[in-house]
Amino acid sequence: MLKGVYNWIDERLDITPMWRDVADHEVPEHVNPAHHFSAFVYCFGGLTFFITVIQILSGMFLTMYFVPDIINAYKSVDYLQHKVAFGGIVRGMHHWGASLVIVMMFLHTLRVFFTGSYKAPREMNWVVGMLIFFIMLGLGFTGYLLPWDNKAYFATKVGIQIAESVPYIGVYIKELMQGGEIVGAETLTRFFAIHVFFLPGALLALLAAHFFMIRKQGISGPL
Amino acid sequence: MSNHEHHENTAHKPVKRSGMSRRQFLSYTLGGAGAFMAAGMSLPMIRFAVDPILKKKAGGTWIKVVEENKITNDPQEFKFNIHQVDGWYVSDPELSAWISKDSSGNFFALSPVCKHLGCTISWNTEKNNEYVCPCHNAHYTKDGKNLTVAPKPLDEYELKIDKGWVYLGPIKANTRV
Amino acid sequence: MAHGHKSNEKVVFVGDSRVRKRSGAPNTVPPDYSSYPGKSEAFIPNFLLKEWMVGVVVLVGFLVLTIAEPAPLGYPADPTNAAFIPMPDWYFLFLYQFLKYPYVAGDYIVLGTVGIPGVAFGALLLAPFLDTGKERRFYRRPVTTALMVLSLISLFYLTKVSWDHYQHELAKTNTIPEHHLREEKAREAAMSGKGGEEQQPVASIPIVDEDDPAMEILKARCIACHNPDLKGNESMKAPALRGVGDTHTKEELVEIVTNGKGGGAMPSFKEMLSAEEIDQVTTWLAKQKKAE
Repeated sequence: MLKGVYNWIDERLDITPMWRDVADHEVPEHVNPAHHFSAFVYCFGGLTFFITVIQILSGMFLTMYFVPDIINAYKSVDYLQHKVAFGGIVRGMHHWGASLVIVMMFLHTLRVFFTGSYKAPREMNWVVGMLIFFIMLGLGFTGYLLPWDNKAYFATKVGIQIAESVPYIGVYIKELMQGGEIVGAETLTRFFAIHVFFLPGALLALLAAHFFMIRKQGISGPL
Repeated sequence: MSNHEHHENTAHKPVKRSGMSRRQFLSYTLGGAGAFMAAGMSLPMIRFAVDPILKKKAGGTWIKVVEENKITNDPQEFKFNIHQVDGWYVSDPELSAWISKDSSGNFFALSPVCKHLGCTISWNTEKNNEYVCPCHNAHYTKDGKNLTVAPKPLDEYELKIDKGWVYLGPIKANTRV
Repeated sequence: MAHGHKSNEKVVFVGDSRVRKRSGAPNTVPPDYSSYPGKSEAFIPNFLLKEWMVGVVVLVGFLVLTIAEPAPLGYPADPTNAAFIPMPDWYFLFLYQFLKYPYVAGDYIVLGTVGIPGVAFGALLLAPFLDTGKERRFYRRPVTTALMVLSLISLFYLTKVSWDHYQHELAKTNTIPEHHLREEKAREAAMSGKGGEEQQPVASIPIVDEDDPAMEILKARCIACHNPDLKGNESMKAPALRGVGDTHTKEELVEIVTNGKGGGAMPSFKEMLSAEEIDQVTTWLAKQKKAE
């Protein structure tokens, strides 16, 4: 039955080569921790992606309960964490995952750096990877404000002050980030939109480019 | 497929082990590990999302509405507030009920929400002792029986009398017609 | 189908004529693997299985963490709260600490916010174009490695200094971080059997006898901590004064106002207020009971 459906689609779209290409490509020995234990350093990229998937999923589920509004944001977070079954765990996944993804990405970056894997012909993939890093930091910064508790509020104020000290355009950056003259209602909706739509969109595009390039260029050879 | 894989297969062929091949075993383990990861991360989230249907519904509370002796055979509208906790939003919305006595002296309370398209009905606006809905001219008898347009009779509130006061509970389907 | 093909005929795709077919063998084997023959293996299922084993271990550890340590949540944001020690998320601490140093602050703030971080992150972003040598081993390219190690050391150092400073501040001002405070409160509430039940929000407790002359003393002495509307300030651990008559008798109130409470959190007022004034205030406070 399943095979029938598959064949029906394959006949029309010729999908076999697409997944065959991913499935059958050979992975060299030097990144395989079963052969050399030290090859575990090559796992960090995959783990970063895994945690990113968790982040995207848990974030999607959290928005079922969250309201980006200064009156209700805190109440809704409080409600989903303490009153909804598994709310503490789902919010915990998103909260701790945010830190873990940074840690994993940091380790992944260090691995790529110290194995010199960013060298020709993989320069572009390094640049894309760094952009992903910056986007992740942006996601961390914008996400921090959303629960609208004191910690979120004052951390964001500090962050915006730092941005403000940029010469000439600092004031404009500040107002653009705040969406107004103070950190308040308009800041929260703005950060929410950036956190939930803009940055994840950019992240997905960059991730696609990252993986496409890995697939095209292969893993860098052994040292 | 690589030469290496091919070589392995031919090398194993003479052994002719019963059961599954190495590749099959790996595939199953892979599927298992994948399923475990998928379940491990998505089960808490799914439980989180479906919480509303698994939540214990708070039993209906009784709200004191009006003194018993104010109820007549003609339906009258009474307003009352219920305490409503809607997630993080707590409110006390005002509801209304049409309360009356039937010929044998039993009290009953009808919901004013028209079963046609949800407008608000009222009593005797056309002087014919019927509930009338202003939107599409639905008519109901005093017991809430649907006469025109509406597909169902009016809903009824649970009702009890205690120490001379009428108490209303949750809404239920009409039991009188 | 419009051309009357038989429906069971296999669809044949005609290549896009605008794309020139590449000469030579189709590039099916990725470049690296053919150049490193050896114990390579297929991505699915062999290699992915190992990746996923690691993934399973990480996931289990991660779930244990989320269960053991709930995500912190403090009190609702209050822009007027002056007692709160602001703190960015941990991965921004290094930048936060860095900007505290005098030579990147004040007149040189541009250097701190744009200059040095800009150069550092810019260099990181463009690393492949700065370090163009063929050599990949890190010990054979000492300059790059040294720069990176130096940045890492300063990164860890700055983060640690910032964190220590924060802990020091907390200890100095005798503050417990809000999310801990809140959790403790919740635990206490659960222990005392009130678990789950909502406390009456303080705002809804009315102030009794608002025109009493004692209010003048309160305005001068108390509202700085206990809030102008007497609802208290949880992050300063100042309780609400509304409804205080339910929990304390007048004698207790006299004792608290005269001698203070909580190791100086509530200061002693015996120097600042006369005995009559204390009496006046506490009499009024004792009247603050929830209306039944």
